[in-house]
Amino acid sequence: MIFCAVVVCAASHAAEKRPPEGGRYERRARAENWPSEGDVGLQQAAEYKRAIRYVTDETGRRVAIPLRIRNIVTLAPNLTETVYALGLGERLAGDTTFCDSPPAAKEKPHVGAPQNPSLEAIVALHPDLVLATTSINSPQTVEALAAVGIAVYTSDPHTVRGMLESIAHMADLMGASEQGAALAAQLQARLDVLQARLAELPLAHVLFVVWEDPLITIGPGTFIADALRWAGAESVIVSKQNWPQVSIEEIVRLQPEYIVLTSNHEESSAALQIADLRARPAWKGLRAVELGHVAVVGEEVTRPSPGLIDAIEQLAHQLHPEAFTENMEQHEQRRARGARFVASSAVGKDCAACAR
Amino acid sequence: MRPLTPKRILWICSGLGAVLFVAVVVSLRMGAYPIGVRDIVMTLFNGAMGRRDDIPSEFWLVVFGLRLPRIALGILVGASLSTAGAGFQALLRNPLADPYVLGVSSGAALGAIVSLIVAPHVVGAIQIAAFVGAAATIAAVYFLGRRGGHLDSPTLLLAGIVAASFLSAIIMFLLTMVTGSELRSIAFWLMGDLTAPPPTTNVIGWFGFLFFIFIVAAGAIYTTSSDLNLILTGEQEARHLGVNVNRVKLVVYVAASVLTGLAVSVSGAIGYVGLLVPHVMRMLFGTDYRLLIPTSAIGGAIAIVVADTLARTIVAPTQLPVGAMTALAGAPVFIYLMRRRIR
Repeated sequence: MIFCAVVVCAASHAAEKRPPEGGRYERRARAENWPSEGDVGLQQAAEYKRAIRYVTDETGRRVAIPLRIRNIVTLAPNLTETVYALGLGERLAGDTTFCDSPPAAKEKPHVGAPQNPSLEAIVALHPDLVLATTSINSPQTVEALAAVGIAVYTSDPHTVRGMLESIAHMADLMGASEQGAALAAQLQARLDVLQARLAELPLAHVLFVVWEDPLITIGPGTFIADALRWAGAESVIVSKQNWPQVSIEEIVRLQPEYIVLTSNHEESSAALQIADLRARPAWKGLRAVELGHVAVVGEEVTRPSPGLIDAIEQLAHQLHPEAFTENMEQHEQRRARGARFVASSAVGKDCAACAR
Repeated sequence: MRPLTPKRILWICSGLGAVLFVAVVVSLRMGAYPIGVRDIVMTLFNGAMGRRDDIPSEFWLVVFGLRLPRIALGILVGASLSTAGAGFQALLRNPLADPYVLGVSSGAALGAIVSLIVAPHVVGAIQIAAFVGAAATIAAVYFLGRRGGHLDSPTLLLAGIVAASFLSAIIMFLLTMVTGSELRSIAFWLMGDLTAPPPTTNVIGWFGFLFFIFIVAAGAIYTTSSDLNLILTGEQEARHLGVNVNRVKLVVYVAASVLTGLAVSVSGAIGYVGLLVPHVMRMLFGTDYRLLIPTSAIGGAIAIVVADTLARTIVAPTQLPVGAMTALAGAPVFIYLMRRRIR
């Protein structure tokens, strides 16, 4: 369990104290001692303000986090999306220059790029909680923030399921456990619908292109590999590395059924991408390119955020169009036939590929 | 040229010290957190008097938690690298020598990478592993670079360059093996950055320890400065004048390597400072090592503090690695001084 202990104590927490805006030195200094003696109600309020709990984050660090989170700073686009998806956009005090989704995130104060944000810019936003992720932030940033007493929770999801759990945990930290549980349940329900539709179809063997030149693809340890399994697909590359660089020769040998590309441009359609690939000598020999089996998904697939489920659905529609064309009656019939699997999937949904 | 008297050394060093002080003050003032000069002075004053309770906690955080440690680290690293660079340039009798030419930084980076792979979350492991890697490289290059039982400059240079290439190759190999967060930590080591916090909560003790090592090693190089002047005119001539060349070389080699290992362990491989600053100081104040060693130390500190201030503010709020800034700002300054001298 993530929450080892919930300890309430009156710790003097740097980020907790918020002097009045624009105050000069003396006024700020006085504001530090604001619960005057004898004023019990005020003292209780101050104690509540400083109440913290200890949690272990997803990298195994022990973090003291205030119970009441008013100002949140996110250090990665997927975390920004998660905060907005939880309906906590108002409490987001700052994000990174990379955070472009939803559009409102662009208007928030930025603390720099995720790899090397300005620690001072973060401090200046008085955050009660900073959300970081292992997939783009550097450990030095997290350590440096922790060293000056700022609560940093680092998420580290490796699967789609792990991402849903991570969302629920972060929601709980931000005092929005109900929204978190609801969001996770809603996303899980969409995954279940997909799984029911794709249950009896064979897995599509795909090449997921992270980078074209040099050709970099995904290893089985990444959450993208897990997202592919939810979309009824499997990478043709088996590697111990997370982001293996492979030769085009190897791809010609393996002949994937589909090439999966990511795109942040909505107008860049699959047809354009196919034409582009056919113009390349090394790629045009691939059967998938000849047949036009190129799937294009949004960049959300590379971000462990609620948008990932959209990308999984997009991909499933492109790879298995037959699963979505049948009418509901046929679907129900097929569902009934597949009832045994559907029932068992409620227990072990972690790997759609294995269940089949 | 005027004769070099202790008084002149003192005057020049005080002048440079004043420049460093200005650089530190400007650096303290600049940053993403809005804090006025008056508030900084009050915070520093109260902090120096030990009255921490009188300081608003965010001011304490920004001044004593973020800016001062960064400046102190910059001074230490800049002074160490420049002193080491000046030492290596004399030892190898090669104007292209810098602190990394003998592979010390590659050894330190390799140590850091191994520790990141083996024990990623152990506090302080990176610094220790980097220093162990640097020390192992120093020892290996020392034994490879001897000829007839003594350090021979050309042999030492070749041994160091081969060791550096070999270690870099191992680093490249390891880079293909690691993924995700380790990769970002390693990029930090290879580029050089001052963000990493001290590995202990006793920040003053930590910096005291680092500066103690610096004083000992830089002091050791300084004691050889008269002899280095003679060696630079020719080893044979220096021997005839009674200089124990082998001892001087050994002292400079060990001390300069320790300084490099120290700097790389805490900040990664910050480039160009160790190469450029000694040359700039030669252009400004002449080639006498009695003056060159202390001016290089202060000049290196100024260079890193200024470069880091620019790195923090030029594309704010994003921070650049200070290593990128030293090259970007250092090369034009160097070329300007060089052309002006030739004219």
